[in-house]
Formats: sequence, C-alpha cells, structure tokens
Amino acid sequence: MDDLENDLNLREGLERDDDDSSDNGSRKEGSSFKLPQVQSICQKTLHETGFHQSVRLCLEFIREAMLHHRWLEAAEYMASYAQVLEDKVNLTAQQYKELFWRISTEILHHHPKSTMDDYNVIYERMKHSGFKHYLKICLEHSFHLMLHGQIETAKQKLSEAESWRHGKETASQYQRTKLIQAYRSLLDYIIWFEKKSRLPVNDSFESDSQGMENYYRQASINLKEILKNPGVWDPFILSYVTMLEFKEDQEQALEVLNRYAYDDSFPPNPNAHVFLYQYLKRHDASQKKLKKVLKTLHFLVPSHELMLEYSSLLLQSGTKKDDQKAVEVALDMLDFTCWRSNLDVWKCLQKSVQNLQTEEDWKSFIDEKMAARKDWWPGLHYTKFHAVKDADENPELLKVKASLISVLCPDRILKYSVESSQE
Amino acid sequence: MFTDRGRMDEEETAGYAQPCAQCAAVDWGLTEEGRFFCRSCHNVIERTKEVVDLSFIQGANRISTLSRDSRKKTTGGGHMWMVCEGFQVILMNQADALIRLGVHPHFKDGVLRQLWRLYLQKSRQAYCVNRIRSAKFRLGATDSDSDSGAETSAASGTDGESYPPSSPSSKGGSDWSGSVDSLCYLTPRQRRSRSLLSLKKTLALIHLALVWSREALTLSDLLWLVNCGCVPYVNAHEQLPEQMKLYGKDALLFNVETVPSHRSLHKEAQDLLRFLQLPAFPPISQQTLMHPAPLSLRYLIDANLPGELHRWVCRVTELAGLFQESSQTIHPERQPSLLRYDLQAAALIIVTMKLLFGLDDHSEWELSNNAGCTDGEGAQFNLRSWYKLMQAAQIRARHRREQDTARRQWTAKTPVVSRKKDKSWIMKKKRVAEQLQLCFEKLSSQPEGLKEAPPSSFRFCWGEQKGADGPSLHHTGLDGVVGLKNGILTPHNQSYWHSSLRPCNPGRCQNHLSDLEKTLPSSFVWLLGLFSFLLDVKPSYLYEEVLSVERRVFADRRQDGNQDQNFGSDL
Repeated sequence: MDDLENDLNLREGLERDDDDSSDNGSRKEGSSFKLPQVQSICQKTLHETGFHQSVRLCLEFIREAMLHHRWLEAAEYMASYAQVLEDKVNLTAQQYKELFWRISTEILHHHPKSTMDDYNVIYERMKHSGFKHYLKICLEHSFHLMLHGQIETAKQKLSEAESWRHGKETASQYQRTKLIQAYRSLLDYIIWFEKKSRLPVNDSFESDSQGMENYYRQASINLKEILKNPGVWDPFILSYVTMLEFKEDQEQALEVLNRYAYDDSFPPNPNAHVFLYQYLKRHDASQKKLKKVLKTLHFLVPSHELMLEYSSLLLQSGTKKDDQKAVEVALDMLDFTCWRSNLDVWKCLQKSVQNLQTEEDWKSFIDEKMAARKDWWPGLHYTKFHAVKDADENPELLKVKASLISVLCPDRILKYSVESSQE
Repeated sequence: MFTDRGRMDEEETAGYAQPCAQCAAVDWGLTEEGRFFCRSCHNVIERTKEVVDLSFIQGANRISTLSRDSRKKTTGGGHMWMVCEGFQVILMNQADALIRLGVHPHFKDGVLRQLWRLYLQKSRQAYCVNRIRSAKFRLGATDSDSDSGAETSAASGTDGESYPPSSPSSKGGSDWSGSVDSLCYLTPRQRRSRSLLSLKKTLALIHLALVWSREALTLSDLLWLVNCGCVPYVNAHEQLPEQMKLYGKDALLFNVETVPSHRSLHKEAQDLLRFLQLPAFPPISQQTLMHPAPLSLRYLIDANLPGELHRWVCRVTELAGLFQESSQTIHPERQPSLLRYDLQAAALIIVTMKLLFGLDDHSEWELSNNAGCTDGEGAQFNLRSWYKLMQAAQIRARHRREQDTARRQWTAKTPVVSRKKDKSWIMKKKRVAEQLQLCFEKLSSQPEGLKEAPPSSFRFCWGEQKGADGPSLHHTGLDGVVGLKNGILTPHNQSYWHSSLRPCNPGRCQNHLSDLEKTLPSSFVWLLGLFSFLLDVKPSYLYEEVLSVERRVFADRRQDGNQDQNFGSDL
C-alpha cells in the first residue's frame, strides 16, 4: 500500500541497553535493526525498552479496569496511554491506533461523564491519524451521530468521507466507499422525509421546496446507483420506493423492485418478494400478479405469514388447480410448529379441502400429499395431549381439526377427538 | 516517469487553465513528483502540486500542509555546539538535581568537574593537545579551542562565525545534525573505542563522583531517583539551552527510551574507572555511610527487621573480611574493581539471616513457634508475623511500583527528529497524542499533580502513624533465636546450608538462580525477592552477590566442623 513507505521507519543504530541480554546468555542484537519483527502487543519481548514496558503495563491495567467495569480508572490510564501513539517503531503503530480507537469508544460508551464532544474529538483525531482506517472510523462516527439524532452532522461527515481519495483504491476501500455513499443517501432521504412530514397537508407550495428537491435528487440518484449493486439493501430500497411513490413514478419503482426480487446476481432475499407484493397490493394490481409473486415467496419461505393471504387468494379463484394449490400451501404451513395452534390456517385447510371434495379424484391427491407426512404428522398434531390442550384453549380448533382426521389420515386410529379430550 | 492517472489528475489540475508554452494546448497531467506536464507535448513546467493533507475538520481549523518544495533551507538560528558541550550541560543539571536533594555541593564543584575534565582529556575530546576534530573543523571555520583550561560553557565562543551554507548538513542529508561533530562522533572507529559519551556514561560518572565523595547515595538509590524523575535522564535534552538545536544524528545520542539497569550501569562505571585510571579513593571507614555497617542498618530498618540483628551482621561482615577499610576502599592495586555497596550490604543481611534462622523451610518456622507474641515491652521477634507483615506490604508496594511504571511518560515535549522528512508526521502524532490525553484527563476523576511527596530513601514506612505499612518491629528482641552458651551469645540454629560455592567463569555463566530456583528453599527465595525489590535489581543478580559473600565467609572454614563457636558473639 502506498502508506507503507510512510509507516515503515527502519531504526538506525540506536544504542541499546544490554542488561537483559547478559542474563539470557546471548547477545544477538547487533547495532542496527534491519527488519523488525511483528510483536504481539501484550507480550514481553527480549529487548524491551523502558517505553515499551510502560506502555505494555499500562495496557494491562486498562484491560483489568475495563474487565471489571471500573471506567473512571480506565480513563485515567488512557490518559497515560496516549503516548503509545508516538511510538517511533512504526510497524506496530497501526495496531496501536486501532486498539486505541476501539478502547476509547468503549470507555466513552460506559463512562458516566462522557459527552458528545469527547466522542467527536476521539473520532476526528483517530480518523486523521492514519490512512488505513479512515473510512471505517468515518462510518462509525456517522452511525454514532445518527443514533444520537444528529442527522445533519452525520450526513456532513459522510459527505466528507465520500470525497476522500487516497492512493490506489483497493477492494476494501471500494466496498466501504459504496457503503458510505449508501448511508449518505439514506440520510438524505431521512432529512427529506422529515421535511415532508412537517409540511401541512393541504399546502403544496412550500417555501423550502428547492431544498427538498435537492435532497430528493441527491438521495434518489445515489440510491439508484447503489441498488444496481448486488447486495441486501432492505432499508434503502424501502426509502427509495417511498420517494418514487411520492413522485408517482410507478414504472421505476416496479423496475427496481422486480430487479431486487428476481435478479439472479442479488442474493436470495425473501423480503424482496414481500416488498414487491406489498407494493403491488397498494397499487391494486391484478390477482394474477399477486399470486405470481406469492408463489415464489411460498417456494422460498413456506411458513411466511403472507401464505394465509396467498391461500385466500387461491380460494377466491375457484379453479381445481388453485384449490389443490391452496391445500398444498396450508399443509406446508402446518408443517411448522409455529402455525400449529392457529385457527385461521386450519379453517383455511378445511375450506380448501371442502372445495376440493367437490371435484373427482380428490382422494388420490390428498393421499399423495400426505404420503410423505403420514409418519410424523399425527405426532405433530393429533395426540391425546394435543386434544386435551386444545380443549382447554380453543375448543373450536379441536372441532376443526377433528373433522379433518378422516380426510387426512384415514387409515390411522388416532386418539384425537372431543370425547377423548374429556377423559 | 509520466503516468496517466486519468480522472484523478483532472481533478488536481482542473484549476489550472493556462495554455502550454510549447504547444498552446490546455491539457495538463501530473508526473510522479507532482509536477504539471502538458499531455500533448510532454513539456514539464515548474508548477508543482502542493500535497494537501485532507484533514479539514469542521471547527478545528487545522490544515497542515506538506510542501514538496525541497529548496527550503533549514532554519538555523542556533550556535554551533559540540557533543561534549551538550553532555556537559546535562551532567551539571543532573548534579544540581542531586544537590537540591541534599548532596553536599563539594560533590559537584570539587569532584565531578575534575572527573569530567579528566574524562575529556583521556578521550581526547577536549583539554588536550591532539584533539579529535571533525572534518568540518579542519576546514578552519571556527575555533572552539578550549585548551585554555577554562570550562567550556554551553553557549561558548563558537558564535560569530557564519555557518558555511555549502556544508552537507544544511540539506537534511544523512549527516544532518544540530551539533557540529555528532557525525564524526559516531564513526565505527569511535564506537569501537568505547570511550563515547552517552547518557549512561554521565550517570556512571556521577556514580563515581558520589563514591569518591563518600555520599550516602548508592547506585540503586541513584537509579531510583532517575526512575521517579528527580534526576533528569530520559528527556534531559529538553534542558539544553535554546541556542543548542538538536536534530538529525543527535537523536542517536540524546534520545533514550530506557533507564539502564543496575547491572549495566555498574559495568559502565567499572569500565570508566578503568579508563580514567584514577588513584586511590578516599578511604571508606566504618563511619562512612557506604560502609556495610551503617548501610546494613539502613536496610534492616527498611525491611522492618529487629535492630539487634545489626551486631550479627557486623560479625558476619568481619568474618567475610569486608569490615576493614582496605577491603571497602577502591585502590588501583589492592581493590581495583568497583564495589557494589548496596548489593553487598543486602547479601550480608541475607547470609546473617540464613545463619540465625536456617531458612531451609523448616528451622525458621520451628523457631518462630517457640517465640512469643510481638506486642508490648520485651517483645520477641517472630519470623512468622514478620513474614506476614512483609508479604502484605511487599505486594502493595510492588503494585504501586507497577502502576508508576505504567503511568510514566517517556515522550519529550520537543522531540529530537532524526530525519528531516520525519519531522512533520512526528509533530502531527505528538499533537494527536496530546489532544487525546487532554480529552481523557478531562474525564478522569483525580486532579493532576498527585505526586507531591518528596522522595524518601526508604521503600516502606513502619510505625504507628497514618499511612504506615505496619507496626515497627525494630525494637523486638532476638531471645527466641539466640541464647547464651558458655557465656557467649550463640544462635540456636546449628546448621547452615549453601549451594555450590565454586566460582565459575563469569564470562560463561551468569545466571544460576533460574536453574536452582526450584531446588532452593522457598523462604530463602522469598527473602531474596524481598531484597531485590528493595534495591530494584533482579533476584539472580543479588544471588550472585550472596554466593560471593558466602565464598568469602566459608573459604577457610570448609574444614571446620564446629561452626557455631565461631559465630558466637560477646554480649
């Protein structure tokens, strides 16, 4: 990396103290120190100078204090520890800087007297003390400001970071820069949204519309760019779609959502389909479209709560295929224990079975579906224990479930019934 | 040489829209060195891009600019000064600090100056005819001859002559330094001769002067004063006067990051003694505070041991042949090596305790079982209670010492920069560290300036007053330990153990303790640890001294079976 030549500082022939070397029998160190080895920070090395000894002991005390939550004491030791940043041997300087940054923020989180100013000082100083972690610290600083409600300042910091360039762009720098851009745009969106929500409802002429336009433009341009990259961008896509909806740009919104859900280069994300479905529902899309989206969602997450809506959609259509699908969906949901005691699902299953029974060869279909399940389904739903439990909690459920036994598990003798629950 | 950096160059050169002189195009790029060049005809112009550190902090108003213009001259403004002048200032400062702590002024004016002059003479740096001169001096610029015998003062008569601008040190090259002769000072030949000045050497010189003046400060005391900052050492160069500017190669000489250990400083002083070929030192008699008799009393008090032990220590000292003056005074023929008075006294105490108590993990506890309680008049000394007291106090004191080490600050306010290009980022780091320190000091609960207590020569404080480490056992009696036998006071303990006393080659093996530690009785090892904590040396180092004392005591008595009669003492 380019900053290596800054950071490397070969020590020239400094005179050393030879006290320890005679104890240990050998005097390996010569007068010049050509290739310093990387030393672990808390380990005492053979030729440790007094400075390094002080710094090492100080770090141990800090660690002790932090582990025992003695934050005041830790802060005192940190004041003496600051001299480590002036270490002349630069190969370990990177480790020390990162260590110092992380320890300081941790102490500030817990210290009773810490203020925002302290945080700002630490972040600013550590940001500019090295190139390798500038972007990381920028991000953390902005997150911190965001969490404390200082949205404007956070946005400012991120804008600074966005325009920062140093040396060759490595992969990690590239990724972080993208992240910084994304968050900056998100902040733009938040500011825009806050302004919009403060608008009185019937006043469409706002004095600050130009400023709002700016935010809108900046946010949307960047978000559009960002969302082209594969990744998981849930909060970002929601904000972008909200903005597009406000401007009534349906086409763009649909395009973005579709790409997010169906583009193979993006990692598989069930939420994408949920967003798409919700959007379509809001905009009164046809049932066919809705069903199509939910079909993929069913494939990804059979136990999703939207499956209830899916099955109700299917039942509305009335075709044989859809009824069969509805049964399948309900059965898939009931495979999961979280839906076991849910009356709606069972009712839905009951209804779809009833619909199906009007067709022919419904029995073979049901048997086919239950073939894989017949070993463990009764244990999951139809034991005596369940009978007693359901009788206590939800008698209607008991009735519904009992009525389905003959359909689903005709060959088995199950101890699930209204009578058995009263024994 | 010319690289196409595309978009980034356009950003940098965007502001510059002058047409090229040769081809009248406006198409600028940046070379590796940061100069502007015309892309169409590759004409390089004089304009350079200033590399700006992108650290614009809102509200902090601090933009540090690194100019790439290398034609800047080093701003001098200082006088020319030699390395030995710088060290002289430091030496005198150290001596003044000691005088402020109570040393007699004669130590500085009478003894130290003479030694310094002698040293400079012997190493041919001053006060002599054929002085080592640097090449620059031979060019005849200045005449800083101090053969007149007057002291070379700090800002001495080297001013007035202007420094020749063509000499290499004004360009920040490899031999760039503030002092005049540090480059020639550090040639390999000079280094081999080992007569070079260093901060360690000034301390060694002070130690010799203290021994000569028969002051009560031992070497461990001196090091302790250096460690707590009373005697300037680590950033001693900050006390040099304004006119002496330090940079470049001076860093190698004046920058230290470690306080020397007892062993290395003693070796340095020993070498210096040999080098200076001093005559016989003033005699060290029983009244001198460095003699084992008074010194061991001091250590007995510090270790809270009964005063009655002192007569036994003196007896052992006699037996070791260390009581008389001739064995304690340094003399070129009779006693050429520099004695380690502090270690010697501690070793004598340890040997005495071994004699009286056995220290074999068995006898001493039996003796203390027989002893009574330690309170009130006529109390007897009980080793067990003493051990408990000492152990608790020692743990606390060790912890305090570690805390002090952890808090010690090593960096100077004005660091000596060894390479010119390093200066900017060294100063930047310093600013960062200072600001962070301020931030955390604000968060600390304790106000600053806690260490106001004046330094004391004792590590522990025994007595009834507030803040004491425990009750004082100084006046307890040794009735349980010694008794009358045939009218002579003899120890009850009749046996003595010791490890192999065969002296081995000092060059070959130095550290016996680490091998033997597992086999030695733990009370002995503990006692060794206690005294090495008091003196701040390594236990193995003290153990060597104990062995050498035992060698002296038992040298003629190896054949003698009946030992207790010899160790009896008259009432």
